[in-house]
Amino acid sequence: MKMKEKLEKEKMGNTIPAQNRIIAWPRMGRIDIPLKALLVSLGAKVVIPPPNSNEALEIGVRNSIEGICLPYKLNLANYIMALDKGANTLMMFQAPGSCRLGNYTKMAQKTLKQMGYEFDMVIFDMYKSKMKQTLQAFWHVTRCINPWRYYKGFSLGFNKFFAIDTAERLLFYTRPREIHKGDAEKCYNKWLQIVDETNSVWKAKQLKKQIIKDFKQIPIDKNKDVPIVYLIGEFFVLLDPYTNQNIEKELGDMGVEVQRQIMFGDWLEHVLKPSIFYRKESHRERSVRYAEKYMKRAIGGECIETIGDTVYAAKHGVDGIIHISPFSCMPEIVAQNILPKVSKEEDIPVMSLVLDEQTGKAGYITRIEAFIDLVKRNKLRKK
Amino acid sequence: MLLYTLHENFNRKRKRFYTFNTMTNNLIHKKVGIPRAISYYNNYPFYYGFFKALGIEIILSDKTTTKIINLGTKYVVSETCLPIKVYVGHVVNLLDKGCDVIFIPSIQSTDYKINNCSKIRGLPEIIRNVINRPFTMIEPTLDKTENINFYDFWTETAKAFGITDKNQIKSAINSGWRVYNNFIEMTKSGVSYCEALENAINGKFEKKTVDLVKPLSIAIMAHGYNLFDERISLNLIKKLEKMDVKVYTSLSVTREESLKAIENLGEIQYWANELELTGTAAHYLLNNKVDGIIALSAFGCGPDSLMVDEIAYHCKERNMPLIHLTIDEHTGEAGFITRIEAFIDMLMRKKRKLLDKKHKQTTIQTKSFEEAASIRKSKVLTGSMQ
Repeated sequence: MKMKEKLEKEKMGNTIPAQNRIIAWPRMGRIDIPLKALLVSLGAKVVIPPPNSNEALEIGVRNSIEGICLPYKLNLANYIMALDKGANTLMMFQAPGSCRLGNYTKMAQKTLKQMGYEFDMVIFDMYKSKMKQTLQAFWHVTRCINPWRYYKGFSLGFNKFFAIDTAERLLFYTRPREIHKGDAEKCYNKWLQIVDETNSVWKAKQLKKQIIKDFKQIPIDKNKDVPIVYLIGEFFVLLDPYTNQNIEKELGDMGVEVQRQIMFGDWLEHVLKPSIFYRKESHRERSVRYAEKYMKRAIGGECIETIGDTVYAAKHGVDGIIHISPFSCMPEIVAQNILPKVSKEEDIPVMSLVLDEQTGKAGYITRIEAFIDLVKRNKLRKK
Repeated sequence: MLLYTLHENFNRKRKRFYTFNTMTNNLIHKKVGIPRAISYYNNYPFYYGFFKALGIEIILSDKTTTKIINLGTKYVVSETCLPIKVYVGHVVNLLDKGCDVIFIPSIQSTDYKINNCSKIRGLPEIIRNVINRPFTMIEPTLDKTENINFYDFWTETAKAFGITDKNQIKSAINSGWRVYNNFIEMTKSGVSYCEALENAINGKFEKKTVDLVKPLSIAIMAHGYNLFDERISLNLIKKLEKMDVKVYTSLSVTREESLKAIENLGEIQYWANELELTGTAAHYLLNNKVDGIIALSAFGCGPDSLMVDEIAYHCKERNMPLIHLTIDEHTGEAGFITRIEAFIDMLMRKKRKLLDKKHKQTTIQTKSFEEAASIRKSKVLTGSMQ
């Protein structure tokens, strides 16, 4: 009985009629393109807050408490900017049992109400029966009853996610090997725009193939000796190029191939699809399997993924690992404590970078350069 | 094909989390080491009763000193919070003492969807990877979200000592509860933490019947492992008592009371140890029993940063003074005392002003000013005024 009341409390009241809703959500990397496609095809109006920048961070820092982690500050800034632009419904997912993420919406609501904004917040809980929760949240927001629109929206959204992921993977591969500098970046930006503009399901399904074809036309030096570096760590920091100060580009320009195991599309597929429908081993399951020697239980956040990926990388010939996390992130501190031992026993160089709002770019790049030098020398020695 | 996928999925799910390590060596341990940190401070009476009933000797680590903190700091990353550093220090201390079986529980969640801080959940993982010495770790898991409940937790613990008899475990759990309940009853009546712990372990039961009235009363919201550790909290409770302040802690509030207080405040419990902090503060905030609230937290503590903020918001609304003290391994005692003293002085002045106003309203017509002042003075000093 108590549980029911609690769940009802968590769900927000329906004060704004569906046709007047203008929806916004916090930004994280390229998440806005597929989500926009989904919501627009369900017949909703959307507002996209401006991309994360120093200005946004300043707003976030001003209105949040001192001890909270960096992603919350940016999320809050996104909400404020979107509300200023005219949004009246905010969407956010929640995952209790992980870390402070479960408290984000609660705090943001309180802070925004204190600031005098009027809005509706729709939260969907990502703990078990996720597909049902997600559908409920979108129905709650749009009141759309046409199943064809749901099909269209979700397949558009998913295909766009996969297209962006593919483009990103190819970008990481091509960037260190390209002959004319900047080709890959240009191609990637071009495709992002095309992905954004696509609005039919059939075309969206073709995107992936077309992107692969287009990236293959970029002239590359195939025989170049390129060290491979895994990028692991906290979810938000990995996916948001502003927060990690575009570490992928920096590394690519240094002639390093970056591989990121956490891709939003992959993650979403495994989270949303009922487990009967996929036969592939998900990223999390693989991590649990590989991390068994060091960790026996999941402790929330992406800690177990971090450890599992490191072991996986060591066993598959990856040259180095860069671990990034926001300041005072609880699961990643545990991971940081475990990583030295993993690094020693599996014989793979690991560097931990902690990011906060005052991270200077110069010092950051010096550390990365030094690490890459180490990785390259290590690789030569092994030969 | 479908059957194959189903089967595979089932296998994968079964293996997904919590593949418990079965004890491979057949050595039956007769001793167990418990580090004097984290869960010790809230649960030690229970641990004592349980292990005693099973006939297992408990070895405790020494009380926290600066040396132990420095010992722990050597092993972990500098960003880790103070309590975890202290915990690692205690484990090393136990190993130095020659105890090689250590009880390190992983308390994941205490109720459905109510989880602990990641660092407390991952205590065994940290210890396993940080300390490179051979020793046996007893690492049971309590996770009510994933249906691993209290009984399973203790069966797993007992299994490590070679005990699998159900009735024996049940009776041990009951004797654990007995000691724990005595302890809680005593602390609720106002007996201090150390005394209550000693009494509970020795099988004594003493209640405090006379309650001294003091001019000021303060509630402290803090984790047990921060507050009752004399080194970490820099003896905060004793310092306050010396200043003639009555101190209320989480031990003087029952579980039901704090749950109700959180609900009345319009909040939802999210953290497993929220009852100690938000619950206690909310209880005293709502019943107007105290003059101020002190929040004590370790630097960089994730849950605390949110909970203290939550209470600060409500305190502002209800005009309740609150001070947030942050501690880390470098906290100087002098600065700490100054801050507490300033806070107490401020509360004193505020209370005196309030009493002044009350007296002026009631006594101006009947008594002369001097008489009223003398009465006021004597009443403030003896503290009989509410």
